Amino acid sequence: MKIIARLFFVVLTGIGCFGLRAADWTAGMKEGKPEFKSMGPLAFGPDAILLIADTRGAAVVAVATGDTVPAKAIQPLKVEGINQKIAGLLGTSADQILINDMVVNPISRNAYIAVSRGRGPDAIPVLVRVKAGGNLEAVSLGKVKFSRGELPDAPVDGVVGEGNRQSNPRQESITDLAFFQDRVLIAGLSNEEFSSTLRAIPFPFETVANGTTVEIFHGAHGRFETRSPVRTFVPFNVGSQPSLIAAYTCTPLVQFPLGDLKPGAKIKGKTIAELGNRNRPLDMIVYQKGGKDYLLLANSSRGVMKISTDNIENAENITDKVADKKGQPYETIESWTGVDQLDQLDPSHALVVRRGEGNSLNLESLALP
Amino acid sequence: MTGIVRLLACTGALRAGLGLAIWIGFSFHAQCAGGSEYFLRWNTNSNPITVEVAVLDENEVRQLRATNWTDGNWQQLLSVYAGQGDFIADLSVPPMLGSYRVEKSLIRFQPRFPLEPGVAYRAVFRPGRLPGNVDRRSADAISKFSLPSASGKPTTVVAQVYPGADLLPENLLKFYVHFSAPMQGGHIYNHIHLLDEAGKPVELPFLEIDEELWNPEMTRLTLFIDPGRIKRGVQPLEEIGPALEEGKRYSLEIDAAWRDSAGLPLRVGFRKSFRVGRPDREPPSPSTWKLQSPKAGTRDALMVTFPEPMDHALALRVIRVADPAGRFVEGTSALSDHEQHWGFTPRKPWAAGPHQLQVQNTIEDLAGNNIGKTFEVDLFEGVQRRFTNEVVKLSFEVK
Repeated sequence: MKIIARLFFVVLTGIGCFGLRAADWTAGMKEGKPEFKSMGPLAFGPDAILLIADTRGAAVVAVATGDTVPAKAIQPLKVEGINQKIAGLLGTSADQILINDMVVNPISRNAYIAVSRGRGPDAIPVLVRVKAGGNLEAVSLGKVKFSRGELPDAPVDGVVGEGNRQSNPRQESITDLAFFQDRVLIAGLSNEEFSSTLRAIPFPFETVANGTTVEIFHGAHGRFETRSPVRTFVPFNVGSQPSLIAAYTCTPLVQFPLGDLKPGAKIKGKTIAELGNRNRPLDMIVYQKGGKDYLLLANSSRGVMKISTDNIENAENITDKVADKKGQPYETIESWTGVDQLDQLDPSHALVVRRGEGNSLNLESLALP
Repeated sequence: MTGIVRLLACTGALRAGLGLAIWIGFSFHAQCAGGSEYFLRWNTNSNPITVEVAVLDENEVRQLRATNWTDGNWQQLLSVYAGQGDFIADLSVPPMLGSYRVEKSLIRFQPRFPLEPGVAYRAVFRPGRLPGNVDRRSADAISKFSLPSASGKPTTVVAQVYPGADLLPENLLKFYVHFSAPMQGGHIYNHIHLLDEAGKPVELPFLEIDEELWNPEMTRLTLFIDPGRIKRGVQPLEEIGPALEEGKRYSLEIDAAWRDSAGLPLRVGFRKSFRVGRPDREPPSPSTWKLQSPKAGTRDALMVTFPEPMDHALALRVIRVADPAGRFVEGTSALSDHEQHWGFTPRKPWAAGPHQLQVQNTIEDLAGNNIGKTFEVDLFEGVQRRFTNEVVKLSFEVK
């Protein structure tokens, strides 16, 4: 059996300069107060520029954090009850706090957490920083250099209702984003039509023109395609080929060559691992150990997987029916239980948000396996 | 020197709509420089509520104004905490964010965010930290405050679930759950259950998206059936079976514990029982839609009948009417008869002449089939998916 899964890459202007490094990453930024309707997935770009997905605002906002002082020696970090501490900082109770994402600034090694204060439509997005030693602070966004990349919307939106009741109920949730070379990659899913999108927006953000659609397939396990959404992904060089490794809801791991992206092109990805069912991937990083690259994937019910990338450039495209698992070998890191958020803290440690006792969440550094 | 730190319960008028606030006051003696007497109070006359320390003497005011304190310095003097209902956690909860000002003879702390009902707040004033006070042993002054928890009668309900029909295809793609008022997000899948005929929960039927697929007002939730549980030849489907099976009955249940944005549970739980019929693998074909033209000069509804129910949200959003000049006609569309009838009432009377019904090809039926493409594409048959936003046009005449 196989599925052919398909991604839609909306590739914007600037595709041709893929791989070129911009001289000034803050080009086009203005100083002021960026407006956020929400803060979802986060990713760091170069020079401590933080990319913040604003699903409700249908945009990705790039903020120059200025947090550019390199970290000294990394000390073990454990902040117990990070959700309660954030709630305390924001003057509310932990059950009114949602931790939407956590990333580590690769320069300063400070952790940045996207938080919703409140759970209703009036929830306030807040960016929290955790410094070495575990001190929390709200990041001031009152006067920062920033730029805004509006999400190009493939379907034309109409409004529903009449007069004051008019509204557009369509939203596209951003499920993950990453910076790669000179572009921001964004995975999204609409709350109406079932189209899973993955977009590439040139960075620094410029005027966003209409996108061009590129269809990307991945050979998998059957004659029927599915449009299952990408849950989490990482850019990764497979051999010398810039690629995207994407984890899907039913946990196939799929490799797409990024360098082949051309407007109008159809790109076929390949399934390099089947990691088992009854599971949902949550977060993924790439790290090196002993001279080898590994993928580390946090899951909803199958723990944290350390996936080998040995010989990944020659990986077989899985197209046959598999009983449970197949492809790149992996081991489950048994001791890493309850991991919801995952990022690399330094070359030898990860930083995780994991479930503790009761409803408590802990922010914790762990030695990379 | 012996000074008195006195904490008083504020009896000022409460903000309208806040209800009765709960006050707990303490008074005790403390060692303070200058023998001052202070009042630590919650000012509910201000909006937002602030915390005040009064009364400072002229010297204290002058010294405070001369400082160039950071927030950390101010928090040493006066800090406000939001209790987490957990003694151990409360020992290490950081002070709340906010701003400090010296006004006339008082210090005012304004929280960055408004105080929330049900949270136990605690203000701590440390007079020994006043500038010039060399005696750091002065007793701390503590005052607690909370606004009453959300109370009242629950009123929010599940207003409607689409699709509305009792017979749904085996490869149903999604439900829309409409609430009568904005809801709380976060951990929502704990409240949604798909049960089989025996009342047994169907295992992992939904695509659980951490970001949750709400409309901006949070009155509508989109609930996708996991595509891995719908499609033919997909591993999860073969391993644990489809979420829905033809010929069987199911119920979608939403428990009343789910809270609305006001913090109250639903008035009642919700249950939609339905039968499952054969899978739908036919793309919608607008050429089979029946149009009933309205009369010119009236505001009668244009009626369109589909041979099968269409996706509620998309049918409302992606079908539009163009007038003889090609301009979109303003008006209101509505679905009825379990999403098999689409009606459009113009704001102004119809003009005579040729009109068009314009339908984006992204419209879906209940199984996610689009115009020109089934949800499942059999690649061996060479069917190509069109992601482009094409429009299908159906002409009709208004006479």
